[in-house]
Amino acid sequence: MSAGAVIVGGHLLLALAASVLPLQSVVAQDSNAILQGASGAHWLGTDSLGRDVLSRTLHGGQPSIGVALVAVLLAAVLGFGLGTFAALVGGWLDDAIMRVVDVLLAMPSLLVLMLVASFIGREPVVLVATLALMYAPPIARVVRGASGNVLTRDFILAARLRGASRRAIVVGEVLPNIAEVFITEVAMQFTWILLAFSSLSFLGLGTSPPTAEWGLMISDARGFITVSPLPLLAPVAMLASLVLGVNALVDRRAQAALP
Amino acid sequence: MTAYLLRRLAISLGVFTVMSVLVFLGVEALPGDACTALLGRSATATKLAQCRGANGLNASVSHRLIDWASGLLRGDLGFSIKRGKSVVDIVLPRLRNSLALATVASLMAFPLAIVVGVWSARRKGTRVARAVDTVSLVLMTMPEFVTASVLWLLFAVWLPLLPGVTMVSSNASLLEILPNIWLPAITLALVVFAHVMRSMRASFLVTEERPFVEAARARGIAERVVVRRHILPAALPAPINVIAVTAAWLLTGTFVVEVVFNFPGLGRIAVDAISDRDTALILALTLFGLVVFIASSFVSDAVTRALDPRMRAQVAS
Repeated sequence: MSAGAVIVGGHLLLALAASVLPLQSVVAQDSNAILQGASGAHWLGTDSLGRDVLSRTLHGGQPSIGVALVAVLLAAVLGFGLGTFAALVGGWLDDAIMRVVDVLLAMPSLLVLMLVASFIGREPVVLVATLALMYAPPIARVVRGASGNVLTRDFILAARLRGASRRAIVVGEVLPNIAEVFITEVAMQFTWILLAFSSLSFLGLGTSPPTAEWGLMISDARGFITVSPLPLLAPVAMLASLVLGVNALVDRRAQAALP
Repeated sequence: MTAYLLRRLAISLGVFTVMSVLVFLGVEALPGDACTALLGRSATATKLAQCRGANGLNASVSHRLIDWASGLLRGDLGFSIKRGKSVVDIVLPRLRNSLALATVASLMAFPLAIVVGVWSARRKGTRVARAVDTVSLVLMTMPEFVTASVLWLLFAVWLPLLPGVTMVSSNASLLEILPNIWLPAITLALVVFAHVMRSMRASFLVTEERPFVEAARARGIAERVVVRRHILPAALPAPINVIAVTAAWLLTGTFVVEVVFNFPGLGRIAVDAISDRDTALILALTLFGLVVFIASSFVSDAVTRALDPRMRAQVAS
């Protein structure tokens, strides 16, 4: 197992386990113990409202990882569908789809996200749908390119002559042949979605307080950094290690995919 | 070349006109308007009607579009009801600050990125080159508020060398702003450095494999001359395109970094404007982003053409 897989696996496990581990409350405030350093009662100290930093840090991955996972799965399905459809039909429809994809790609995603969160709403459903729409185009483009190559090969012609349906060709012939490229691209987009969502929370337009979320925690902790750096450093370390882990994993997969 | 530039300029103007109308309609389509945002929870039907009447929001969309467009031609970007100020007065001082920030970050990042890119391409495979590669990848993928927070902790709190949070107002003199530029500029420089450096290195490595480089080396031309006169002119267009895109981002995408350091630029006012739904201001800022985006692709195309002898020849013939 690569280091990347260990880090990412560990993060997923921690995010799941945070709900069952005997941790202190995420929201309980203790006005007698604000901004304390590490101690037996609070292993990573407390934040500016006297909340347990360890518990908040471990729970803090749940919103971003959850939103990013659902959004990237939707984006992957959408991107794969659009990409293979465009490659299969070809012609003007193919061109039209890819031009729309190009326009969506040129949009500044954080700006669009902020506008949606502020004007339409910051409910998880709205944000997940927006993220999926914003991050499907790059996946569609990669899938379109890769499946376009596969579709010109002889075994596709053979499948067509066998009388295989379009669906059978896409699922049985195209998907296995572009799987490596596709999965790598989806993993890359997962980190971008994760970063976009935590940036949004950092800017005060994503997760609402008092939910524990890394971007929001970092934003809250900034004002008290001179008193206690732990409430800032703990979520910074978690977010940084998760991003690095996914990148290490993607890098390895990309290298393994090379002939 | 002049004919090409003129044609390209005409296309840019056309794109701008079409896109700015789309942006206007897009902001128009957002739920709520300036009056619902201004009145908030205290909004009643009569108060809303009064506010809309006073600010000319009852006119039809096409009417207001024409109003807005003709104002734009006269250099009038509208009036922010929320802030009780003309949009130009809000945007101009912050535009100056953002320009200063982007300039400092560019000067820190771009020349160094080109040099390090070439350097690491020529030392491909060595341990130092691989270390530089890893560090740049980390910087590229880290969220800006993480990089910014770490830098802040290091250079403003633990080693109090630089001011962490800007305390001066947006229209303070540049001299007062300058000390506050360093930390946000370093953060931005680190992010864009990695992008440009990696593109320079990749482009250099690809160009080095081409036959004309081998031919130049076979003729016994000194390596320094091969790098300067043969590889670089062919390898530079790719990183220059990246520079154009990242320079545009430095002017329009710096929301997070400006918020971290409380820097009084366009990014922070954009976050504020979006948070309190100040549509007049959002419209002006989006339009500015559009201008920067179109200008950067124009400049990058022009520079690429000017650099590449083959493209120059094509235009001449």
